[in-house]
Amino acid sequence: MLNLLSRSCIAAGVALVAASAVWAHHSQSEFDFKSVVEVEGNVTKLEWMSPHARLYVDALDEQGRTVNWNFELPSPMTLMRRGWKRNSLKPGDHVKVKGARARHFPDIAYASVIRDGSGNPLFTGVTQIYDPQPPQSSSPK
Amino acid sequence: MKAPAPRTREGKPDFSGIWFANVPAKDYCKEKDCIQEERMAREQINWGINMQGGLPYTEWSKQVMVKRRANGGRDDPHTYCKPPNYPRAWTLPQHTKIIQTPKEMVMLHEFNAAYREVYLDGRPLPVDPNPTWNGYSTGHWEGDTLVIETNGIRDDMWLDIQGSPITESGHVTERLKRTSLGLMKVQVSINDPKAYTKPWSVTIEMALQVDTQMLEEICLDNEQDVKLYQ
Repeated sequence: MLNLLSRSCIAAGVALVAASAVWAHHSQSEFDFKSVVEVEGNVTKLEWMSPHARLYVDALDEQGRTVNWNFELPSPMTLMRRGWKRNSLKPGDHVKVKGARARHFPDIAYASVIRDGSGNPLFTGVTQIYDPQPPQSSSPK
Repeated sequence: MKAPAPRTREGKPDFSGIWFANVPAKDYCKEKDCIQEERMAREQINWGINMQGGLPYTEWSKQVMVKRRANGGRDDPHTYCKPPNYPRAWTLPQHTKIIQTPKEMVMLHEFNAAYREVYLDGRPLPVDPNPTWNGYSTGHWEGDTLVIETNGIRDDMWLDIQGSPITESGHVTERLKRTSLGLMKVQVSINDPKAYTKPWSVTIEMALQVDTQMLEEICLDNEQDVKLYQ
């Protein structure tokens, strides 16, 4: 199942990070989609709860200290409709995660692409890519 | 899916089923080979997204919307896991399940396992309704179209992510027409003199979802975004 999803994951994930703003079930202005983070480490937990599943990853920072990253994913409901299960990622799995950092929390990010240790795409956090501005406008109507 | 709409034993169109916005899978893709699976109605962002000139905001409601939009999701009831409210709920990424009987239509919504009742038994709308998230809804038939009238909406409701308001003076008319087995058109008309200079209507298309079931999404289970809006 993961391989079947991989192409869409890459394309959508890249577009997500490039987008000026992204909306899921609410505005996601709490994330800075221009601040791209790339983290490699081991999964410590996949939190399978609403409104957003969360992937926690231990990775070393520039000073060699272990940081436990908190990556926001779509809801379990959305993930299940893409064929994912609550054990699709397990503690100890080696992953590379790309995403957008929270504006005020350096260790929290919105995941856009997740790859396995070999770099094969596993998963995308994208639920929507959208420019929220009305089509006609420089100023709101 | 192109077969004619099913009918009830009474001969009325039967809207029963699980529905979700009929947005092409590639609608939001920015890559040539994108096969993105997730779909959402554009109107989730702004009901006037395809309307020439946008929604006809009054000066008051325009100021409200601009402030809400500038704050991102910081003020959105949805961010705080408040209930889904129709007609906004039609556009959300969760599904609606319709259960139809001759006297009542019930809409189940996945977000917070919510429900909405639409009375089809001929009762009038209340004159002085108690304001609620979904308001008070009655429906009647005009040919094969189910016309749902709603009043009694709370004064602080959001219609979309950018914060287009609807007030307690608002009256919502939804015209449901099942055009085939697989599709339903929902025309949403808003008449709210406090928020809009004139009535407006937007039609969204919903697609029958046959390869899934209702999946519970209880928002407060693990809400962690509010703290990020510093």
